[in-house]
Amino acid sequence: MSESAPTAAETRRIAEEARDRVRFEEEALELSDQVFRVARRLASSREEAEDLVQDTYARAFRSWQQYTPGTNLRAWLLRILTNLNIDRGRRQQRSPDTQPLEEGDYFLYNKLESTIADENPDEERVLERLSQNAVVDALSEVPHDFRDVLVLVDIGEFSYAEAAQILDIPIGTVMSRLHRGRRALKQNLAEKTVVS
Amino acid sequence: MQPYLDGVLSDEQVKEAWEHLADCPGCDKRYRFEEDLRRFVKVAVDEPMPPELMARLAGLRQPLQ
Repeated sequence: MSESAPTAAETRRIAEEARDRVRFEEEALELSDQVFRVARRLASSREEAEDLVQDTYARAFRSWQQYTPGTNLRAWLLRILTNLNIDRGRRQQRSPDTQPLEEGDYFLYNKLESTIADENPDEERVLERLSQNAVVDALSEVPHDFRDVLVLVDIGEFSYAEAAQILDIPIGTVMSRLHRGRRALKQNLAEKTVVS
Repeated sequence: MQPYLDGVLSDEQVKEAWEHLADCPGCDKRYRFEEDLRRFVKVAVDEPMPPELMARLAGLRQPLQ
């Protein structure tokens, strides 16, 4: 076979590959807004989130052939992103070994409820006492390991199984970190709630 | 309560939880609070992608040979 003239089969293969790649890139870009929203809460600043998303897409576009078409592309992208986030040495800050107080589960509810004289407070109104900034800060103060799971499941709406796959941890660990993360979040929120 | 909210319980367990919530105003109130809290947190922390980032991402696409 001559080196200069590609065969018809080769030409077709190159054309098919180009078509698959373009399709991959377009599908990935369509998900970028959702990827950013999750990244924003995993990273500590907006700038850091933008860098993370950009590095994720650069890597995804380079290694697109490792993606299996028909599988969950959003989870695949988030897996790259969480790995990059860990590679950045973010994990130097270890999660505390101590568990948050058991009370954390109902502490927020009880505190919010106690600030309202009404015997039967309307839940929506109870929550109105929390400012948006307080919620953002409370989430950012949840230890990293717990926050990753919390953000993937509660913000990204990934299933336990998807979160386990993205973070490469057992599903039981997802559940326990989620539970502890939510408890830490509520405790942080309770601390930020102004009692009038 | 958390697995119930996450929708990971079996049909049988969901039924059990439902029956319990119907009979227990205390748990029902906390359940609704948990549900509202999650929705509230999700909305409060939401931040859409800056449009210029989208343009930068599109710029990362590999040129066709």
